[in-house]
Amino acid sequence: MNLRRLWTLLVREARATWRNAFTMTILVAVPLAALMVFGFVLSTEVKKLRLGVHDASGTASSRRLVAELAAKGTFVPRSFATPGSLDHALMEGEISAAIVIPPDFDRRLREAAAGGAPAELQVLYDGGETVLAGNSEAFLRTLALSTVAELSTGARAQTMGGPAAPLRVSPPAAAPPVSGGVSVVSRALFNPKLDGSRFMVSGTFGFVLSFLTALITAVSIVSERLSGTFEQLQVTPATSLEILLGKILPLGAVFAVDVVLMVLAAGFLLGVWPEGSIVFFVIVSSFYVLTSLSLGLLISATSATAAEAVQKTVLFSIPLVQLSGFAFPIRNMPTPVRWLAEIFPATHYIRVSRAIYLRGEGPLSLLPELALLTFFTLVLVAVALRSIEGRA
Amino acid sequence: MSAPIISVRNLTKRFGDFTAVDQLAIDVVPSSIFAFLGANGSGKSTTIRMLIGLLRPTEGSIEVDGIDVIRHPRRVRDHIGYMGQKVSLYQGLSLRENVEFYAGLHGLAGRELEARWGALRERFRLSDAEAERPENLPAGIRQRAGLALATLHRPRVLFLDEPTAGVDVHSRSLFWELIREEADAGRTVFVTTHFLEEVDYCDWASFIDEGKLIANAAPEDLRRRYSEGYRVHIDGEPAQELTTPALDDAFFADELDPLLALRPGARVQIDTPSMTDVFRRVIAESAGTRHAQP
Repeated sequence: MNLRRLWTLLVREARATWRNAFTMTILVAVPLAALMVFGFVLSTEVKKLRLGVHDASGTASSRRLVAELAAKGTFVPRSFATPGSLDHALMEGEISAAIVIPPDFDRRLREAAAGGAPAELQVLYDGGETVLAGNSEAFLRTLALSTVAELSTGARAQTMGGPAAPLRVSPPAAAPPVSGGVSVVSRALFNPKLDGSRFMVSGTFGFVLSFLTALITAVSIVSERLSGTFEQLQVTPATSLEILLGKILPLGAVFAVDVVLMVLAAGFLLGVWPEGSIVFFVIVSSFYVLTSLSLGLLISATSATAAEAVQKTVLFSIPLVQLSGFAFPIRNMPTPVRWLAEIFPATHYIRVSRAIYLRGEGPLSLLPELALLTFFTLVLVAVALRSIEGRA
Repeated sequence: MSAPIISVRNLTKRFGDFTAVDQLAIDVVPSSIFAFLGANGSGKSTTIRMLIGLLRPTEGSIEVDGIDVIRHPRRVRDHIGYMGQKVSLYQGLSLRENVEFYAGLHGLAGRELEARWGALRERFRLSDAEAERPENLPAGIRQRAGLALATLHRPRVLFLDEPTAGVDVHSRSLFWELIREEADAGRTVFVTTHFLEEVDYCDWASFIDEGKLIANAAPEDLRRRYSEGYRVHIDGEPAQELTTPALDDAFFADELDPLLALRPGARVQIDTPSMTDVFRRVIAESAGTRHAQP
């Protein structure tokens, strides 16, 4: 080996890499950003979760229970006047879990201390967010039981003047024990078995339709620009809208077929079918494909080569995986990051996908998300049209 | 003289601090071949992209076939044909499928398309290539196919950006014959080229350097102004050599014919000043002028 030649090769490579701003960004910023995001933002840890509370008891004991839940830093309680409003907030994603304290909580607690039936707490969670649901339900159960154990010790001391009886803890998501100080009844609003494949399948549509469509469009248009056919198109009477639609509609049709195949494969091979309408899901997904295709067109507009387009699409897929809710619960992220996640069209599509797959929701309840997706699509199409005009 | 079909005034394009095209003013006469020449990076392609409405100028005005291109960039596209540096045929589609695609964008189909394409196919010698894919065709045939497609919708003005780049000499010659036929048929051709000798196929030539127009005249006038002139060598004892700025009637009547009358059967050789030399001199004079300016 000739060290001088090797040195020459090393210097050239180092210079080329150092002077390529895009490569440097990928090499340095991406690992650091990924580390920060995984370390601080993405977490399945149950911390400061928004907890809905319907306290029908309104007694010192029930208030103490809520105060104890808040004191640990795990939950941030928010009161709801009715069980219905609690369910609604849970469905809307305003809260991550909920606890319902019955009107007779205090009395039952005292009766249990005297050997009667235990007081019953109801814990509600959204089974759609499988990991978060499992963790939060277990935390909530443990915290509630330990707090009520203390309360019940006090009640027993008041009633019998003796030591507290051992507390029975019911198993997660199962029938409550029938004796002891308290029983915790869990109820998942959706996906009661916390089936992870259902959660992942519905999210995978978002990942595939975002990443693959953007990649294919970006590479295809950059190739056309390089071969000169795109410029030739621009000097024909075809309008920018016609060129855009001529590009994305055939690709959109292919991906729409892909969606149908994926739904069927998930159904027949994994046993995961949408709880809601398959037709509605395919329509929404096909519409979302247009959003992603427009995004691909934008990536192509800023890429000089197909390789650059691929790099940019991969770069774009990192926040797509991390922040869109595909793999990590958005509810658990810090507020500014949650806001950031909201500007990704994928976040809204994945939300809609899960709503249809896990909760069987229809167009009416998903109207706000669909409106947002439409808005994003219109914005992206408008910018893509401008990039096609390309008149600097 | 008829009104220009392309009229450009004060045309300027800046990219940040860099001025790619600077105060350009040109007129192109209808049914002529207008050569737009310059070194790499001189502003040729930027100019042509502005003329066809793909790039918005920083300032100035452009009129093509009576249309204000800056205000109505789309409207001009029915009036022009364009062939870029890369012949824009879709790979994976046969030549025939490419024809049908571009014809469709111009609203041509059925009998009208068959009639037009049939005539072009024969004239451009593309019959054998019709079923082939562009990637399987030689560069010369691809260029001819590109030109045929650019004329399919019968545009009034043809813009050709380096149309003969990468093509062999024979194909280039055939290509220029076709361009001449287009001009003779009434089409105006605006062409950029690297091959300076191709200027002789053209009616008018403009040189651009560093974004500025530095020469603008008929090829003969450029030779007259920027060369030592034609050298005419007459064999015999003694051999004789004449120099003339132009091979015009006056030269033949007053100088050459009387000499040849004295030497019947003498062989005459005429050395034409090369356009490359003309271009070098134009560039040198332009640079001298620029440096002389305070």
